[in-house]
Amino acid sequence: MSAPSLANYIVKRPWLNRWMMPLAQWYTDAAGYRRIGLRADDLIPEESETVQTALKRLPPKEAYDRVFRIRRAFQCSISHQLLPAAEQTKPSEDVEYLSPIIREIEKEQQERVDLDTLIVKR
Amino acid sequence: MLSRSTFSRNAPRALQKQCSAAGANSRRSMASATTPGLQYDVTESAGVKVANREVAGPTGTLALVAKAGPRYQPFPGFSDVLEQFAFKSTLKRSALRINREVELLGGEVSSTHSRENVVLKAKFLSNDLPYFAELLAEVASQTKFAAHELNEVILKTLKYRQQALAANPEAVALDVAHVVAFHRGLGESITPSTTVSFEKYLSSEALAEYAQQAFAKSNIALVGSGPNSAEVSKWVGDFFKGVPSTGSSAGYQLKQNTASQYYGGEQRISSKTGNAVVIAFPGSGAFGTPAYKPEASVLAALLGGESTIKWTPGFSLLAQATQGFSQARASTQNLAYSDAGLFTITVSGKADQIASVGKNAVDLLKKAAAGEISGEEIKKAVALAKFRALESAQSLETGLEATGSALINGYKPYQIGEVAQSIDAVTEAQVKDVAKSFLSGKASIATVGDLFQLPYSEDLGLTV
Repeated sequence: MSAPSLANYIVKRPWLNRWMMPLAQWYTDAAGYRRIGLRADDLIPEESETVQTALKRLPPKEAYDRVFRIRRAFQCSISHQLLPAAEQTKPSEDVEYLSPIIREIEKEQQERVDLDTLIVKR
Repeated sequence: MLSRSTFSRNAPRALQKQCSAAGANSRRSMASATTPGLQYDVTESAGVKVANREVAGPTGTLALVAKAGPRYQPFPGFSDVLEQFAFKSTLKRSALRINREVELLGGEVSSTHSRENVVLKAKFLSNDLPYFAELLAEVASQTKFAAHELNEVILKTLKYRQQALAANPEAVALDVAHVVAFHRGLGESITPSTTVSFEKYLSSEALAEYAQQAFAKSNIALVGSGPNSAEVSKWVGDFFKGVPSTGSSAGYQLKQNTASQYYGGEQRISSKTGNAVVIAFPGSGAFGTPAYKPEASVLAALLGGESTIKWTPGFSLLAQATQGFSQARASTQNLAYSDAGLFTITVSGKADQIASVGKNAVDLLKKAAAGEISGEEIKKAVALAKFRALESAQSLETGLEATGSALINGYKPYQIGEVAQSIDAVTEAQVKDVAKSFLSGKASIATVGDLFQLPYSEDLGLTV
């Protein structure tokens, strides 16, 4: 699911993390999805078996909010407008809600593969 | 070369010789009252009641019996779902992993529920006892109750189970007979029917709370059958330490254990899947309980309906009476519970034949009440009832649950010798009295199928 990233490498080193954080925040803000009210997890491509399963496992409220955000962003995109500042996603609201479920499903799939290719030594 | 005919002629004789060489004593040991290997050694380790019967052999069985069947569930469907959540993902390992590990060890795990109990059972090679004791403890105390497992797996299978039940008119009628006879408690249906809206009560959190109560130490018993009792209680003590001794006092409590009361009545349900009539009376409770009446099980064997021998209707009165009706089937049973019992006559088949067979059954019951049954027949019935009671105690399927249930409820577990004695002591007069009491009291009648043709209780000659 996830693309190769240096994030783990950086987070493990506090000095580097402190260095990179302002840069990361600037970059995320500049990406612009927050201005149309989306969260980072809304941008995950849906066209895969794993993400489809994860979407089905979302709690009903989360699933409703996600659809709402996506439709609002769609409207903004069509009308070439940004949301008023009060309605834009704040950095504190931009949390992972789908990725944990996706990671869990990937772990399940990996476990199945591991068990299927298991060699038992007695 | 050996010709086939000589070999086949001699083989049985050779076998016979071997058997007799093994000694007449070992073969006849079933008759003695204190049969070693059929008595349960009851102990308590880590606050959990453990019973084991020592049977020499390479395999063993361990079952966890929890007093959490539909009788004790707070909302419909809970014990069904709890049963199906057994061996699903726990905090330590996933359902898939449990499955594969059990496969590698060559064991077998299953879960079932009856009206009173949820039973988790594991069968295994006796060396693997510690693994399966740990597994049962883990399932009891650390199951995750993941919402997605409930939605993706369990609710789907539950739907099929409901459909299977709805397609079986006999099962529906038996369920309805329980409702009519006991209202709540034992009357709760064993699987919610397709029209019950159980989903609105059900959530994984509610179920987790219910499970905590259901699998609390005071509410479970472990029953085993394996080569070594000491080992069983040792490992159970080791692994069940972590199981909570009482559940939290949250919203989803087990239902209080109120004594069952018999009501009686009639209910008719139309169905296209087939026809069945269940005629029920207050029967005998399980052995060791105050409601235990061995004469009811003798009467059940006397009325019978199903032959125990091939190609003959058998001696039972109902079977004799239904010989002319090829498209109807009758059977009599005494369903024993921890504080009550239900004596049921089930008739199923073609609607027009059910009416006459049902009438015959009631007439036979009246004959038994009038004492018009010969002593010879009753002797046969006593023998059959004794065989059935002992056989069910001996077989793993029924014996484990019966023993566990007795332990949790504080009654004495099945004692083979005493069961045999109590049934032997049944007299003709007792059988007559019990039949009389059935007819003088209220019956419970459940009718499922083509209601246009199926009889009412008045047509059968019963009062409701």
